[in-house]
Amino acid sequence: MLKYIVRRLLATIPVLLGLSIVLFAFVHLLPGDPCTAILGQRQTPAACARLRENLGLNDPLYVQYLDYIGGLLRGDFGASVINSKPFFDEFSVRFPGTVELTVAALIFAVGVGIPLGRLAARHAQGWIDGLVTAISLFGISIPVFVLGLVLVLIFGVTLGWLPTQGRIEARAGFEPTTNFLLLDTALAGRWDLFVDVLRHLILPAIALGSIPLAIIARITRASVIEVSNEDYVRTARAKGLTERRVDDRHIMRNAWLPVTTVVGLQVGGLLGGAVLTETVFGWNGVGRWVVDAIGNRDLTIVQSTILVFALIFLIVNLIVDVGYAFLNPRIRYS
Amino acid sequence: MSLLDVRDLIVRFRTADGTIHAVNGVSFELEAGETLGLVGESGCGKSVTNLALMRLLPKPAGRIEGGQVIFDGLDLLTLSEAEMRDLRGKEIAMIFQDPMTSLNPVLTIEEQLVETIRAHRRVSKADARRRAIALLEMVGIPTPEIRLRSFPHQFSGGMRQRVMIAMALALEPKLLVADEPTTALDVTIQAQVLDLLGRLTTEGGTALILITHDLGVVAGMTQRINVMYAGYIVETAPTPELFGHPSHPYTVGLLHSIPKVTQRDDEELIPIEGRPPDMRQAPVGCPFASRCTWRLEVCWTDNPSLRPVQAGARLVTTGPEATHQIACHNPPTAEEATAGRPVRPGFRPAPAPAGRMDELVLLAEGPA
Amino acid sequence: MSLETPGVTAVAAAPRRAEERVSRGLWSDAFSRLLRNRPALVGLICITAFIGVAILAPVIAPYGPYEQRTGGRLEAPSAAHLFGTDLLGRDMFSRVLYGAQISLQVGVIAVLMALVMGGLIGALAGGLGGWVDSVLMRVTDVLLAIPGILLAIGIIAWLDRGMLQLMLAIAVTYVPIFARLLRGSILALRESDYVIAAGAVGASRLRLLVRHMLPNALTPLIVQATLILATAIIDIAGLGFLGLGPPDPRTPEWGTMLVDARRFLQTAPHIVFFVGGAIVVSAIGFNLLGDGLRESLDPRLKR
Repeated sequence: MLKYIVRRLLATIPVLLGLSIVLFAFVHLLPGDPCTAILGQRQTPAACARLRENLGLNDPLYVQYLDYIGGLLRGDFGASVINSKPFFDEFSVRFPGTVELTVAALIFAVGVGIPLGRLAARHAQGWIDGLVTAISLFGISIPVFVLGLVLVLIFGVTLGWLPTQGRIEARAGFEPTTNFLLLDTALAGRWDLFVDVLRHLILPAIALGSIPLAIIARITRASVIEVSNEDYVRTARAKGLTERRVDDRHIMRNAWLPVTTVVGLQVGGLLGGAVLTETVFGWNGVGRWVVDAIGNRDLTIVQSTILVFALIFLIVNLIVDVGYAFLNPRIRYS
Repeated sequence: MSLLDVRDLIVRFRTADGTIHAVNGVSFELEAGETLGLVGESGCGKSVTNLALMRLLPKPAGRIEGGQVIFDGLDLLTLSEAEMRDLRGKEIAMIFQDPMTSLNPVLTIEEQLVETIRAHRRVSKADARRRAIALLEMVGIPTPEIRLRSFPHQFSGGMRQRVMIAMALALEPKLLVADEPTTALDVTIQAQVLDLLGRLTTEGGTALILITHDLGVVAGMTQRINVMYAGYIVETAPTPELFGHPSHPYTVGLLHSIPKVTQRDDEELIPIEGRPPDMRQAPVGCPFASRCTWRLEVCWTDNPSLRPVQAGARLVTTGPEATHQIACHNPPTAEEATAGRPVRPGFRPAPAPAGRMDELVLLAEGPA
Repeated sequence: MSLETPGVTAVAAAPRRAEERVSRGLWSDAFSRLLRNRPALVGLICITAFIGVAILAPVIAPYGPYEQRTGGRLEAPSAAHLFGTDLLGRDMFSRVLYGAQISLQVGVIAVLMALVMGGLIGALAGGLGGWVDSVLMRVTDVLLAIPGILLAIGIIAWLDRGMLQLMLAIAVTYVPIFARLLRGSILALRESDYVIAAGAVGASRLRLLVRHMLPNALTPLIVQATLILATAIIDIAGLGFLGLGPPDPRTPEWGTMLVDARRFLQTAPHIVFFVGGAIVVSAIGFNLLGDGLRESLDPRLKR
């Protein structure tokens, strides 16, 4: 088990190295003149010299790379080329919004997707199965922003049930501390605002969670059906166990395994999808920031955001893989 | 009254490809403590028969469409699901073919044994555990206290099948159904496992149904044998009688298609030509007709029922004195059974009627 | 529901063996099975409509895609404008039709690029093994670690906007999927009896790869490419929605059209429905066809 974890950890090192090279090239090996590429219309000789200085573009390439890596290891993720503000200044304000959104979407996707998949598997080939299959087909075929716009239209514009823009009622003038608004409002004892934040979360989380939901429902269905046909499930029934026990202990314990892996892989899609969802719902998160940064050609911001998102993805999947090994005795004891 | 009485059991699978006629009216009986072999090729319905009497047919395709199963005075097919569940594992236990896949890979042996015991008896976990240790000891697993905590993948195939036996016998069932229990094992282990199975069922007075495609396995293990073909029992007899006087063309064919250690030069191996009928067709005539070298014209249209070989013999359905019965219009004589082919001068198998030509063409070309 | 009962498998298994299917013509066989698969048939119809519309757009469309003030601004659907009009009074029906052209063109080229690049990486990694395999697989790991749309965004930011850049950006995000798929098939095939047999009679490594392995690894690639086309169409629209689509903002690209739709959601909700509907229908089409292909091309697959 320990060996497995160590091996898994070691395997991420070349990926991190590769990632750093790719992202280094992203800013330091721009096609064409970096001043034109980054500054565009804002280009003046003075601004250009400052940019070269800040990015160290006058140094040899390997020195630039080592500087970049050194900076990362020291926690220096660079600064905006527009206003020179360090990356984390803005990121730390924006990131909690994206976390709240993606976690809510993941909870929605898992909380609805897994029961749907189990339901479909139990009634395999029946009309419930057909309905779930249709839902998941629709889920993977509708872009988050289209679903988002439709949800806004129905529940916001037409019915007026839920707020569609932002993370919290702006007129409340709430001053966040951590920017995890659910946490902040709860700590401040503003339960009215806590509910308000939750209400703001519902539509974006549904829009963002629809694709993972569809994928999780599909894999759960397939996994449960496959395990249900295993000999040991027949053994369990032949032993006279109750159907419930067969289901929980013998089928689900095994069916979880592929599902956990797939859930881990959804985190990447969620982080990417957040960019679109935040745009639709005027959500103050990292995604919108990145889109703005690209508009301003503020490449260091884009670079570091990609890095942080990739790191999150790698760490989540590392945890999932270790969890998988823990759930699976064939790996745990080998 | 016998322990188990299966009457005219009919099982069909309704699939997208059509209906599969898996078991087409099977009847047999079993006394308490008796051992019965169920022999036939794969696909002949022997496993389905036993899944049906456990009511464990794959849902929703597998259906019992007729017949009765009386076990210990209870009509199993009319019991509620909960009543049936009480019986499974406790009164009737099963062992399956592949010990590699029949144990749950993510649960320890202890969990799997203990849950079996506690599903049927109100005992504490500690008591169940003690019983589990005793069971593992009984099936010859060394250091059972330690092995109890292992997972299935940490056992060898033979050991896993021993665990399966321990689990099946955990509640001292009245009937044990062993479905090809040694087929997946190494030849050297097979004898050990069979021996253990035989010893424990005899000691416990447990009736045993041994399902196998291997006549060699049942020869030494069972008192009586049912030979199955295409969802029918075609021959039934006490074991010595069956081997001494095989009377159905299929049984004769089976015995002549396996090489014997004591093979003499003048005894040739005769393979059974053709292949079993397509079970997606409703059976017409004798199911073995297309492969049978003794067939008469009537065999193509009329399926004979099981009748005593000695006409007019008193019908005994269980025990060592059970009547030898076959389902055949034109049984081989003793001489022909020894030769493995018809020896009557001028006899030719009846050609297929016009409507059956397709099948014959297929047969001539070999399996498609 | 599979019938894994011993009594039934033998019956079902006997007449169908994968190898025999090949000799009778894998493709014609697969095609007839595809036509019997109702969801796949629906998918085929969706895609035929999508491709037909894309090709015939200039014939069907009542107006040019750039033609302004064909009616009022943000008009609701009417007989003159089936899908209504947009902010500049352009006919939405015509624009949606021309949009199919853009999506099809960008999507197909991007997926082909991904197929070629990924296929090359996968074939090299699986065929050569050793350090080449390790290096190439780490490269795909890096690409997989970056959330797809973010990777595409990054590439466009790096290369600047343009049609070719758009295709390349989409393509790169799918390269690792094709690379891993082909590598996996090659590794599996390398262990298969017939490849070992071919090797034993002296076929060269290249010959083994090209003659014996690639044709057999092709089916999963085709299935995957079909499914990815669905995602690619969604991603193209996504980039357009973020303002990173075709450089000319007037281009009738579905995602780009939705930028306006968002701003005028209240006054002109029809834009979301028609443009979104077009995206959903084409994505459903490719998804259904991909699933259907997978089922009909793999004779061993259980129903």
